[in-house]
Amino acid sequence: MSKRAFLIEFLIGLCASAACGNALVQTDDAPVTAVQAETAGPAQVVEPGGEYPRPPKPSRQYTIGIVLPHLSNPHFVGQAYGYIDEAHELGAKVALLEAGGYQHLDRQISQIEDLVADKVDAIILVAVSGPGTVGAVALAVSAGIPVINCNVMTDSDQVVTRVRSDDEEIGRTQADFMGQALKGRGNVVMLRGAPGTSWAENRGNAFKKRLSARFPNVTVVGEQYSQSTPADGLRLMEDFMQTYAQIDGVYNGADTTAIGAAQAILASGKTGRIVVATTDFQQDTEKFMRAGVIAAAVVQQTVVIGRWGVRAAINYLEKRPVAGTLWTPLLLVSRDSVDRLDMRGVRAPEGWKPPTR
Amino acid sequence: MSEVSLKDAPEEPGVNAVMSMVSKVPWGHIGMPAVLVIMVIVFGSINPNFYSLTNIANVSRQISPLALISIGQTFAILSAGIDLSVGSLLALVSVVCAQQMLTFGLAGGIVAGILAGCLAGLVNGLLIAKARVPAFIATLGMLVAARGAALTLSGGLPIAGLPHTFLVVGAGHLGPVPIPIAIVAGAVVVAHVVLSRTRFGRYVYAMGSNEEAAVLSGVNVARHKILVYVVSGLFAGIAGVVLTSRVISGQPTLGEVQELYSIAAVVIGGGKITGGVGGIGKTLMGVLVLGILGNGLNLIQVSSYVQNIVIGAIIIAAVYIDSARARRR
Repeated sequence: MSKRAFLIEFLIGLCASAACGNALVQTDDAPVTAVQAETAGPAQVVEPGGEYPRPPKPSRQYTIGIVLPHLSNPHFVGQAYGYIDEAHELGAKVALLEAGGYQHLDRQISQIEDLVADKVDAIILVAVSGPGTVGAVALAVSAGIPVINCNVMTDSDQVVTRVRSDDEEIGRTQADFMGQALKGRGNVVMLRGAPGTSWAENRGNAFKKRLSARFPNVTVVGEQYSQSTPADGLRLMEDFMQTYAQIDGVYNGADTTAIGAAQAILASGKTGRIVVATTDFQQDTEKFMRAGVIAAAVVQQTVVIGRWGVRAAINYLEKRPVAGTLWTPLLLVSRDSVDRLDMRGVRAPEGWKPPTR
Repeated sequence: MSEVSLKDAPEEPGVNAVMSMVSKVPWGHIGMPAVLVIMVIVFGSINPNFYSLTNIANVSRQISPLALISIGQTFAILSAGIDLSVGSLLALVSVVCAQQMLTFGLAGGIVAGILAGCLAGLVNGLLIAKARVPAFIATLGMLVAARGAALTLSGGLPIAGLPHTFLVVGAGHLGPVPIPIAIVAGAVVVAHVVLSRTRFGRYVYAMGSNEEAAVLSGVNVARHKILVYVVSGLFAGIAGVVLTSRVISGQPTLGEVQELYSIAAVVIGGGKITGGVGGIGKTLMGVLVLGILGNGLNLIQVSSYVQNIVIGAIIIAAVYIDSARARRR
């Protein structure tokens, strides 16, 4: 718990420095996160995700079934790399399935049922819907298959552990950044992301709560949900700009919508006049950040989520205790700190493609 | 003379005998089941888990919604119409069922959901029979509008908090039989009886083979057309309730593209897209082919992208073989 408190302090420190465009703050009490380790000197290269270390290679080959919402954006591609590479290191076989989109809940449930029929040793679930996956998790557990819940949460309380970013922290960090960047006054619109998912709900709600607590003169004038695609972000941002005469900032639950919003802002010539904050950091997000359109990104280490998911599964199968929740560290990045970001926890290697299944 | 004809004979007499035997086999009746048996053997030999009770129960649960909407689609296609809206109706029914269940309880929600399907079917039928809008267009409009209605009613968010007893519909058993399959079995029996033994059923076939002749024979085509689409909406309603139970929440995004699979099931089974030919048994074959194919390919680890290519090829092949046989006769 205290580790989280340090993280929060550290991130707030980062926010303050990012807003002023200074170098990363180094504090002595902060835990060794990937960001800090990078700047601590060449001798100390901590592998991203080292806080939850890789267990020893197990005695037998386990089969792990992984169900994802989709593979059409770099966030899940990076996560898939984490799952597959980690499984490879631990000698485990992987069956990677994707539902084709957050709207295909019935397909994800069918995939879980098929994995149960195939008698996998463990299932890693990135839920397409919180309430909708409860029955499927119950089915797996009753068949003796442990379920590890990663990234997007299911409402089921039968999961062995949850590997996740702190969604509330993401929302709060974006709110702090936005509030300071707007100097406490302005209009903000929200591109919340996929309706009904834990991340869209939690991040957005935390953002709003933080704004009203610390920056009461920053008003949320509009918010919309959508699928996480640039096309949706573009369309919604264009509509927002038509509806509201004055927009000063954009919140993004996921960076795919931020890319679309950035395109809309570029096209309208308002670059620099609208502060864009986002979650995650794919290549196009980086491009727009370097171009000055996107101001800040709270980065989930999606590869680390993947690695920790497999590590938790193996630990559980080898009958070692596993904590109820594993919080993967977040990174905050802005134009000045972009070059110091350790991509190994954030993106799959260049050119890596997930096996199509 | 006979010498010349023997010398000019292009094929061996033996081959001729075999070919005539082959053409006497009732391929129309055993073709699809033969394909199914071959698939089952092939998949089972690559992954024996295919035969496991768990897998069989899974497949049957997974294809139940498709089976139900395909039954409704059979009525529509037989009457020389089509119902493109069934996929979106699944979503609308799911939302209505979930919302009403939260207020009126388990039975209230289920009834409300099924009624919503029937009502949408009624609108379709009135547009097609009375306003004379072509079935393709009317149900296309309903496809878009019903999806919009589902999203509006639900605010785009899933509706959670449904009673856990509702899970029984999608996950429960009646003895050894999963409940969705029991529902499908009941629906198949009723629909088959209606199509083959009632006057309404005969009129459906009549409208499909030759609507003008049916009109001239004194059949109230308008009224029966409306009924066809109400029936399609009814089965979409039942399917929507079963699907909602499986996901134990109201989901406005359910059912995308399912209408196309229901049409594929009818066609693969041997029904003619232009109407007048087909039946519940044939459609059921088509549903089984689609379901077993999907499940089998999953179990032998074929990518879902490749699966779609295979299914598309099968749809075309099924219709081609059917029309090729018809031309040779």
